[in-house]
Amino acid sequence: MTRRQINQMSLKFDSRSNNESFARQTVAAFAAQLDPTIDELNDIKTAVSEAVTNCIVHAYREQMGYITVTVRLFDTNEVQITIKDRGCGIPDVKQAMQPMFTTGDSERSGMGFTIMESFMDRLRITSRQGMGTLVTMTKRISMRPKRDG
Amino acid sequence: MKLTHQREADGIVIRYYGELGHHEAAKSIEYLEKIMTLYASDAIILDLSGMTFMDSSGIAVVLNAQRNVMGFGQSFCVRNAPEHAMRIFRAAGIPARVHFETVPLTAGSTKGGAE
Repeated sequence: MTRRQINQMSLKFDSRSNNESFARQTVAAFAAQLDPTIDELNDIKTAVSEAVTNCIVHAYREQMGYITVTVRLFDTNEVQITIKDRGCGIPDVKQAMQPMFTTGDSERSGMGFTIMESFMDRLRITSRQGMGTLVTMTKRISMRPKRDG
Repeated sequence: MKLTHQREADGIVIRYYGELGHHEAAKSIEYLEKIMTLYASDAIILDLSGMTFMDSSGIAVVLNAQRNVMGFGQSFCVRNAPEHAMRIFRAAGIPARVHFETVPLTAGSTKGGAE
């Protein structure tokens, strides 16, 4: 089904943990144009939070870097979110996506990718060691009948 | 993020207010460890009714608390987790390892806390 992009925005920010809340709130505010339910909005916020946290904790573990979040809205009521970093890259994406797998410390549960997969409709990860990672996720927002008035 | 603790009839109730993501997780774990050391022979209840957002960082907070509590021979449970948080806990199989309960909310005073 061909779809047409109706709106887009991009954010670029430092890989600081105090930017995690900013990123998820901003993406949610932008996606709200599609009139999602509270649950759908929470799903989007959570998925974004997981992806941004991965950049901060893993991609830029030993350094500060930039995280770029782009959100695209389509006339099919879909929201597509990409989270991009130029960090260390993931040596084995398949392994990284296994539930409970983490290279982080005891503050990490290893469930980030599992949560992204559960809460979004589509998830794609491309990564290259030493170059960075691109996470692309898409969610179709349920169409609700328009009210008169 | 704000954490408070109070002695109630069923033990030490630690109440969490605000968002719980990676940024808040380390301080939350530290606070819980401190309280559990201070009240080493009490039941510990983590009340999440005031939590407005959680990602998978909440799993680590709960599992860390569970590990510490067992070391002291205490009991531990999570109370009134919002449904969105429960979806995350269930996705990780946490209800099989940690006791979750739902009780009616009552007004409580704040006694000690951290922000």
